[in-house]
Amino acid sequence: MSSPGGQGGGALSTRGAGGARRMKWALELSLSNTRSRGDRQGGQGDTMYPIGYSDKPVPDTSVQETDRNLVEKRCWDVALGPLKQIPMNLFIMYMSGNTISIFPIMMVCMMAWRPIQALMSLSATFKLLESSSQQWLQGLVYLVGNLLGSALAIYKCQSMGLLPTHSSDWLAFIEPPQRMEIMGGGMVL
Amino acid sequence: MSALVCRVVAFFCLLRASAAVFEDQVGKFDWRQQFVGNVRFAAFDAHSQASKKLLVATEKNIFASVNSRTGELFWRHVDKTGQDGQIDAMLVHGQDAVLVVGNGRLLRSWETNIGGLNWEVVMDTGSFQTAQLIGLADIVKFVAVLKKSAISLHYLSNGHQKWVENLPDSDTVQYQTVYSSGNGDVFVLGLVPHSHIVVVAYNIEDGEIMKQVSVEAPWITSLDSSCAVVGSAVLLCVDPVSSSLYTLQLNAEGRAEFVHIPLQSLDLEAEAGFHPVVIATQPHPARVPLKEFFLQLGPERFILLQLKDGAIAPLRDFNPANLVAFATTGEKTVAAVMSPKNETACSINLFSADTGRRLLDTTVTYNLDPNGGKLNRLFVLAFLKKDDSVGYRALVQTEDFALTFLQQPGRVVWVREEALADVVTMEMVDLPLTGTQAELEGEFGKKADGLLAMVLKRLSSQLILLQAWIGHLWKLFYDARKPRSHVKNEVTIETLARDEFNLQKMMVMVTASGKLFGIDSKSGTILWKHYLQNVQPNAAFKLMVQRTTAHFPHPPQCTLLIKDKDTGLGSLHVFNPIFGKKSHIALPTLPRPIQQSLLLPIMDQDYTKVLMLIDDQYKVTAFPSTKNVLQQLQEMASSIFFYLVDSSQGTLSGFRLRKDLSTELMWEVVIPAEVQKITLVKGKRANEHVHSQGRVMGDRSVLYKYLNPNLLAVVTESTDTHPERSFIGVFLIDGVTGRIIHEAVQRKARGPVHLVHSENWVVYEYWNTKSRRNEFSVLEQYEGTELYNSSVFSSLDRPHPPQVLQQSYIFPSPINTLEATLTEKGITSRHLLVGLPSGAILSLPKMFLDPRRPEVVSEQSREENLIPYAPEMPIRTEWFINYNQTVSRVKGIYTAPSGLESTCLVVAYGLDIYQTRVFPSKQFDVLKDDYDYMLISSVLLGLFFATMISKRLAEVKLLNRAWR
Repeated sequence: MSSPGGQGGGALSTRGAGGARRMKWALELSLSNTRSRGDRQGGQGDTMYPIGYSDKPVPDTSVQETDRNLVEKRCWDVALGPLKQIPMNLFIMYMSGNTISIFPIMMVCMMAWRPIQALMSLSATFKLLESSSQQWLQGLVYLVGNLLGSALAIYKCQSMGLLPTHSSDWLAFIEPPQRMEIMGGGMVL
Repeated sequence: MSALVCRVVAFFCLLRASAAVFEDQVGKFDWRQQFVGNVRFAAFDAHSQASKKLLVATEKNIFASVNSRTGELFWRHVDKTGQDGQIDAMLVHGQDAVLVVGNGRLLRSWETNIGGLNWEVVMDTGSFQTAQLIGLADIVKFVAVLKKSAISLHYLSNGHQKWVENLPDSDTVQYQTVYSSGNGDVFVLGLVPHSHIVVVAYNIEDGEIMKQVSVEAPWITSLDSSCAVVGSAVLLCVDPVSSSLYTLQLNAEGRAEFVHIPLQSLDLEAEAGFHPVVIATQPHPARVPLKEFFLQLGPERFILLQLKDGAIAPLRDFNPANLVAFATTGEKTVAAVMSPKNETACSINLFSADTGRRLLDTTVTYNLDPNGGKLNRLFVLAFLKKDDSVGYRALVQTEDFALTFLQQPGRVVWVREEALADVVTMEMVDLPLTGTQAELEGEFGKKADGLLAMVLKRLSSQLILLQAWIGHLWKLFYDARKPRSHVKNEVTIETLARDEFNLQKMMVMVTASGKLFGIDSKSGTILWKHYLQNVQPNAAFKLMVQRTTAHFPHPPQCTLLIKDKDTGLGSLHVFNPIFGKKSHIALPTLPRPIQQSLLLPIMDQDYTKVLMLIDDQYKVTAFPSTKNVLQQLQEMASSIFFYLVDSSQGTLSGFRLRKDLSTELMWEVVIPAEVQKITLVKGKRANEHVHSQGRVMGDRSVLYKYLNPNLLAVVTESTDTHPERSFIGVFLIDGVTGRIIHEAVQRKARGPVHLVHSENWVVYEYWNTKSRRNEFSVLEQYEGTELYNSSVFSSLDRPHPPQVLQQSYIFPSPINTLEATLTEKGITSRHLLVGLPSGAILSLPKMFLDPRRPEVVSEQSREENLIPYAPEMPIRTEWFINYNQTVSRVKGIYTAPSGLESTCLVVAYGLDIYQTRVFPSKQFDVLKDDYDYMLISSVLLGLFFATMISKRLAEVKLLNRAWR
């Protein structure tokens, strides 16, 4: 953080509450004084600066109307982001294998979670793309990319056997059948 | 490579299946009680004053030493069952106990201190009559064994035979008694009934016949109970017909003759119809018997008589008296007489044998158990006190096989319930809720009496619960500070209450003698006992729980069906299994012999399950038979079926109930009885739950189990026992339709077959006569990959037969009994409990008995966790659930579910009773015993405080930063 230079050489400051009490007063001869004091003096506002002076630089907010291509390009970047991740995901999928252990599970979770998160914040992304002329196309591409990502995650779950698609996955829910006949007996006593 | 994989897989499977306990778990939830059976011979080891041993030989062929202070066993020798191991006689002298075993086949001498065998002699064949210690010159040196046609004399020190002599005219004369008074002669007494008595005197040194006389005695029938040698070689006999006594001088010179003494001359008279008994005693085998003897003239009348110079004089008349016994200490012989005091108590008194005078301060009061049997025998241990008076302890044996040891002045030192050595059947019943819990439950049963009253009642009962809980916590805290051995949880019938996980139950045991026991499963304490009089020794029992403890205001109810084997008539004993009290419910009259009984899941208004009794004309009697029950039975009659198996005829027949409670024959399967005999029929247990309806295959499809609740497993054995031709047959028959689902004949196999039938599998064990080994075989039934009808199961609508898979394994030991574990919901994997003849109980994972075990390992079988097939079934010592607490002659294993899904309660019974818990899938629902509560709670507390402190620190830091 940039600190103002503080007072000129030989400035004398009396100190209020807080800070080191043992010093009643201090004389600073150098410009590069301790940070703590500089902060506080900066916060209190200093009479040494002229009126209207700000120590933060003012951002340049003016829109370059002329460079629309740049905006388009930026919007396409956003829209194609999910699609670009797919080859990477495929590679990770291939590398992590189909065994159920902590790392593949973490990967799958991440792969599944990212598109879902993106889909949930779809309106925010649309707002981002508002400035573009091909807004609807870009939105569609973005959506399709994310859907493809989640399909990939589901495929991965399927190949890992995490989806309840087999009859054995529903075995625990089968109730024992009710018996229609009462039967008993045995050897003649 | 694949073999290595197999081994690794198998190793991990084995590792997972181990069921042994840790050293510190020993005795924590298991207990064993050892029994010896009904005592046939008992003797006190009286060779030293401090000795506290009681030697017993029993009908179960057991010779044991009991600590007379505590009633525990010092040691026990279990011999063969049946005739081969039968103990015919027990003679105790000093530290030696001589037993004649197996109808005179073996003569054994045991050292009584440690129970070691001194020597054993195999004797010549011949039917055993009697054995007697023979002394010479005041020292007991020999033991004489009398058989039907020979007498032999053995040295007591090493068992060597001194001589053996044939008895003269042994084909006509029945020799029954041996007598010697230590003067060098051995008298053998025999008789020809209704004719004469033969007295043969042998020389003790070489067995030469010194003298042989025959005395006319046309009245004689037996020597055993009506004759005894009294005084110096005087044979005294009693004749019930002429009601008189006869005396005969055995060593008289010249012609011997009976002297006739009518009982009238002594002012005595035998009770009508009672055979008088002479009870005499010979305190030391090397000296003459006592001159005094008891004459029993009626069931409750004893006379102490004295024989003096050939004349008999009555000393004292005991009327009434239950039992008498002689006891000797030092030179003194006393007579102990037990006489009834009042309805519930008896008193034992000592009398001087030579005068008949009562000894002072020798009364012992014995309270009769109202639920016990009648008095049977009395054994007395007399000892000299410091002031030279005679003190004694008494052992009373009652009809229900109980032994009670009494001490002056009437203290019961211990009681041994030897009826428990022969448990026939048992059930485990849940304990009732505590009073407070029951009160809370009772709220729902009662009618509402206003909202406010209900709220107040609920509040008050919950306050009581809270109070009880705090009391419990306080007790826990208090007990935790004491050392573990000091904490004694006395269980009484009043403090009985169900525990959190329903691990403590009431074991209701039915014994062959007709005595019922209620035993606490946690500690093994006998909480109640009830002796059923008039039960035939070979009666058949069937125990059923008609009402459980779950229906609070109604007490639980058990029913015991007793069938007399001779008459075939059945009787019911209805009782409360928690308190053992007989309930006063009107019992149905059963005029016809009972064939079978059937407990229906239909309930009466008071939640009693209906018991159906089927008589020999296939008529049905319902118990209870209220209107409600009869109506329900009428409604459901068409779906009630039962089957009867007649092993002698070889028929299996199925019946259906009609609305008027008669029955109709539905099916009949005849298995020709001359070729094969039905030995075993087993259905499934009614309280069994199967959680999973199928098995997951390697390709993640499902193989559905064929869960037919009406399926019966029938085992037949061939009548031809030749090893080449013998076979066993296993049939799976539907009990409703009579359809044979599966049939297998195993050639070159022989029984006895042990079988478990559960879920969709049947496991049986047999003897393979070709390979001469025991084999296990498992049958599993599957419906296939499709369920025919997943909502209801009806045997009448099952078009497709199931797929049956089978596999066999070699088992390295014969087995005594087989049972499967049982849990509440059936989620836990199953184990088989195998009772081995060695007394160990093996917990064998069912996983090993799986017909789908592959011979060649594939990816899919590995996925399924199937162990590769190996023909040999291992016995691993860590699978023994009873570690070194062997259960002798294990006859049956009973399993019951507990409130915890992981835990199954197991009771093994036989000669001993052993109770434990097994965890087939480990204790997945409870924390381990060695769970480190301290560490976890300190870590939790530490983390909590760390969070608090760091939160505070963070606040301070933020504040500081804000001030900057």
